[in-house]
Amino acid sequence: MITHTPKRVAITGLGIITAIGESMPTFRQALFNGKCGISSISLFDTTGFPCQVAAQIKNSNLEALIEPKEIKRFSRCDLLGLIAAHEALLDSNLDLERSPCSKIGVILGAGAGGMLSWEKYRRALWSKNTKPRPSLLLPVAHCTLTDLIASRYRLTGFRATISTACSSSATSIGYGFDLIRSGRQDIVVTGGSESLSELTFAGFNSLRVMDPEYCRPFDKSRRGLSLGEGAAILILEDYGRAEDRGTTIYAEVLGYATNSDAFHMTSPDPEGMGMSKVMAKALERANLGPDQVDYINAHGTATRVNDQMETKAIKRIFGEKGARDLAISSTKSMVGHCLGSAGAIEAVAIVQALCEQVVPPTIHLENPDPDCDLDYVPNSSRAREIRFALNNSFAFGGNNTSVVFGRGQVRKEESGI
Amino acid sequence: MTDIVVTGIGIVSPLGVGREAFWDNCSKAKTGIKKITSFDTSSLGSNVGGWVKDFDPSQYISPGAYRRMSRISRMAVASSVEALKDSRLILDDTDRGRIAVIMGTSYGSSSHAEEFYIGLLNNGPRGAQPFLFPETVPNAPASHIAMFHEITGPNSTFCQNEISAENAILYAQNLLLQNQVDVALVGGADELSAIQYSCYDAVGALNKIKVEDDEPVNPKLGGGLILGEGAGVLVMERPDFALARDAEVYGILRSGAITGGITSIGHYEAKGEQMARAMFLAMKEANMGPDDIDQIDVSANFSGELDRMEYNQLKRTFIRPLNNLSITPLKYLTGDFGGAGAMRAAAILLSLHNQVPLPTVRAEILKSEPECSLSWDIHPRGKSQVALMTSTTFGGGSASLVFTRTQ
Repeated sequence: MITHTPKRVAITGLGIITAIGESMPTFRQALFNGKCGISSISLFDTTGFPCQVAAQIKNSNLEALIEPKEIKRFSRCDLLGLIAAHEALLDSNLDLERSPCSKIGVILGAGAGGMLSWEKYRRALWSKNTKPRPSLLLPVAHCTLTDLIASRYRLTGFRATISTACSSSATSIGYGFDLIRSGRQDIVVTGGSESLSELTFAGFNSLRVMDPEYCRPFDKSRRGLSLGEGAAILILEDYGRAEDRGTTIYAEVLGYATNSDAFHMTSPDPEGMGMSKVMAKALERANLGPDQVDYINAHGTATRVNDQMETKAIKRIFGEKGARDLAISSTKSMVGHCLGSAGAIEAVAIVQALCEQVVPPTIHLENPDPDCDLDYVPNSSRAREIRFALNNSFAFGGNNTSVVFGRGQVRKEESGI
Repeated sequence: MTDIVVTGIGIVSPLGVGREAFWDNCSKAKTGIKKITSFDTSSLGSNVGGWVKDFDPSQYISPGAYRRMSRISRMAVASSVEALKDSRLILDDTDRGRIAVIMGTSYGSSSHAEEFYIGLLNNGPRGAQPFLFPETVPNAPASHIAMFHEITGPNSTFCQNEISAENAILYAQNLLLQNQVDVALVGGADELSAIQYSCYDAVGALNKIKVEDDEPVNPKLGGGLILGEGAGVLVMERPDFALARDAEVYGILRSGAITGGITSIGHYEAKGEQMARAMFLAMKEANMGPDDIDQIDVSANFSGELDRMEYNQLKRTFIRPLNNLSITPLKYLTGDFGGAGAMRAAAILLSLHNQVPLPTVRAEILKSEPECSLSWDIHPRGKSQVALMTSTTFGGGSASLVFTRTQ
């Protein structure tokens, strides 16, 4: 039933695997040190593509990180997601044996899902040399990881998978927020997972929006994005419940908004109106004024259009002066653009920034673009007060999502740094 | 109070293109399952599906607008055009930022993904066609609807196999009840493509049935899925907003619930406890019990695993003499697809509005026993106040929605 007093929403568990770190401690260190995860790819042949790099997770023994049971049925995307979910659930200290699992939902964002598995199947069929294994088709559905996590941990609450390209996992955090806020769920396992695939790699190459070296968000010489892969899972929980069980509350989700540019499948509205409006709406829902936000984790893909439009949109909402007082950074400069899991990975980066009161950097930013004239925290992380933070995710199809986060109750000695 | 009203319906379905053709065939239990001639099935174990035969997008969309759209996007946009027209909502008099577009689909455009990838396999990077790639994302249909009508409110797409559209409906309800939006275009869509069909054939999920050109299709009960395609879009509004503009209302979405069953990839929940819990939660939220339900639209799809499980849970939930329990397995007429929930909801709403019960079968048929045969009962005009829609999907999710007649 929907309650009439909205509940607060705490983040009580985090798990992550990316090209710059395969667990929370290694990711945290790499994030603040400005490590670049973009390099050549070994997952598939990139010969002939204008861009041949991406932020691939190089661990060749991912399977060792989870039980080998049913391994042949998991896609790479599922493996990454299960690894992140395992870490997040452990981190949350939830006793699932004693928790009301019927009020624990799983809401994830998905991009290409098990596309890499489908490609293996399709390539084998096409080559006519080998008979493909039909089991490669089982994890192709976008919701496979959602179902796998729920089944593995016996979570029988709400279940949904959102697939809106690059804003998928940001919106999944938002929907998780709604469900806890309204009292429909006590806990939601949320976030997303994405693995590199030939289809997305060839697709972005065909659109000529990929930088052949590495992405450089907000830099004058930027030539496009770098793709990445990874998974991030966040445990959202009724704030009062989290306080009662005395667990660490890393941060609080305060609000979110989604909207549509209704303009073009692959290009943002040239005035950035959709971007502005979604940020304004998210702040309104969080009951915050623009002057209370100190940090924006930008969509910051390093395409020529996105970075200019995002800058313009930020100025429209925060004002020229207010925008200059903000710290803004693009985590994609390090982990690449992880599409369906991008919003979740960036949410984890924001939570770390709020916990440590340190802003992660935008790396590869050497020559600022005159049209991108805000403080993008170039190349080195920086300590500063962060009261509230905003994450932007802007997707194919004109789908925009912004999520607002606030500080939690983390004692320094618990933070792991 | 969780009531949301439905004021417009648009349908492109195997039972007919357009709301009226759909209802006409649906109310007569005329099947939309037929031999597939839209692609080659000669090397496969089956050749039937619930596919949309005479869909002409130019009836709804200009050629310039639909030229780059995939089949699924065309069907979705066409449905949205019909639904909006039906609702008599004047977009120019409405704040487009307070209209949501929320869709559900299993796979989006699998035909575009296939065409793009085959281009890459055949010709290397030069074969990757940039105009095909954007249509491969599952949110393309919802984005096209937003672009076509210049709707700038919340926009989202749910991919949860056979409860994708149900997820979309409940997310829209969530936005409407929070007063985030006044109106939502909500629906589901999927396209039946050669690659999707051959993949389902490869994993052995299809009802193994082959027919000649105009031969009637008699699917084997419990023998496996029959795939379908189509699109359905509903115009959903908060009652106060619909009342203020004096809109005609088809019916009310009274409540809904989603639960998650525990199972392995590719399988339905074995016993169906969570499916039953979803029914229970939805009825509880509507302050109703099993005796209040006049019609039940079930999710049965000819898969023995699902149909038998659903039978057992219906038997447990609706404690009536079994010969009194009539149900509507609409997918027996349309075939199964992830976005089918919106089309099923439309059938229920049209039934409540027209006061003509949906055609039914005896619940025992879901047991898929050898002595069972598929026989539909067609009903004359008669009272029907409350309908329950149950849905469950492989992977374990279940959804239940309660609809009521407008008072």
